[in-house]
Amino acid sequence: MANAKKSHALPEGGQWPDAIAFWAVLAGAVLTTIGFLMAFLYAGPVNGASVDGMPEMIGGQMVSSKLLLSQKIFYFHMPVAIVSFGALAFAGYYSVRFLMTKNQRYDTCAKVAMEISLIFVVCTMITGDLWTRFEWGVWWTWDPRLTTYLILMLIIIAYFVLRGFIDEPERRSIYSAVVSIIALVDVPICLMITRMIPSSIHPVVLREGGMTGDMGMTVGVCMIGMILLGFGMYRLRFRQVRLAQRVQALKDELEEN
Amino acid sequence: MNPVLAEIYSTILPSAPFIIAAYALMWLVLLIYVVMVVRGLKKTEAQMSILEEQVAELRAQKH
Repeated sequence: MANAKKSHALPEGGQWPDAIAFWAVLAGAVLTTIGFLMAFLYAGPVNGASVDGMPEMIGGQMVSSKLLLSQKIFYFHMPVAIVSFGALAFAGYYSVRFLMTKNQRYDTCAKVAMEISLIFVVCTMITGDLWTRFEWGVWWTWDPRLTTYLILMLIIIAYFVLRGFIDEPERRSIYSAVVSIIALVDVPICLMITRMIPSSIHPVVLREGGMTGDMGMTVGVCMIGMILLGFGMYRLRFRQVRLAQRVQALKDELEEN
Repeated sequence: MNPVLAEIYSTILPSAPFIIAAYALMWLVLLIYVVMVVRGLKKTEAQMSILEEQVAELRAQKH
């Protein structure tokens, strides 16, 4: 009975989240499209960084800050970064579960979560780098936030390189789980680095006066959309990987017979 | 025109290629991944149904 309960709790393809995975991807696509339109048509172009340190009357409104068009990248840049952190948190959790139980299923979950985090890390890097190129005039600078995030990306890439190099499943899973946990340790460092090192030039929303209602609403819609996309992508990929594992097991069984 | 607004408007054209590239590349990465996963899933499901048929045939032969 206890064993049955345990196996039921184990993540598996075909469980209830798979029934909503496709709809989550679809809803994510719709919401991010709405968020994209809101970023350009709803969120105001003038509010954010300081206007010569003094509020100014623009269009009948007292405005304490100005945002250039390049700021529109922020509405997607922040949500994809947060989803990449979320996926890493899941990968870390499953890695710990694997180390505790040595059940390969948790290794599969961690691998898929790491894959999703890599996709979103790449998206964060793309959006961030194009913003950096326009705003700062360079493709790259060794700002603390950028550097810690680059380290995070390199750890995730190292995770997959490591998996490719080790053939023995158990050893591969143990080493991968450790690397995944190391990546997770970098997440709070990456998040807090702009607060720990005030000289960091990376923009910090709260330090610069927070967001106005229209900006908050827009970033919220994009965030929900990206979370749904991330969740749907994770479940679709997990289902595929599990099915592929079952196909392989069945093939092996048929060959033996 | 207000100088702040004038400055904002003056950045629209030079920044447009970067904003378009950022959105386009990000969408492309997500789209390619979703398409790859969905295609892989369909392929694996097809393999599974073929294998299931083979197993059923083998079972029928045994009986």
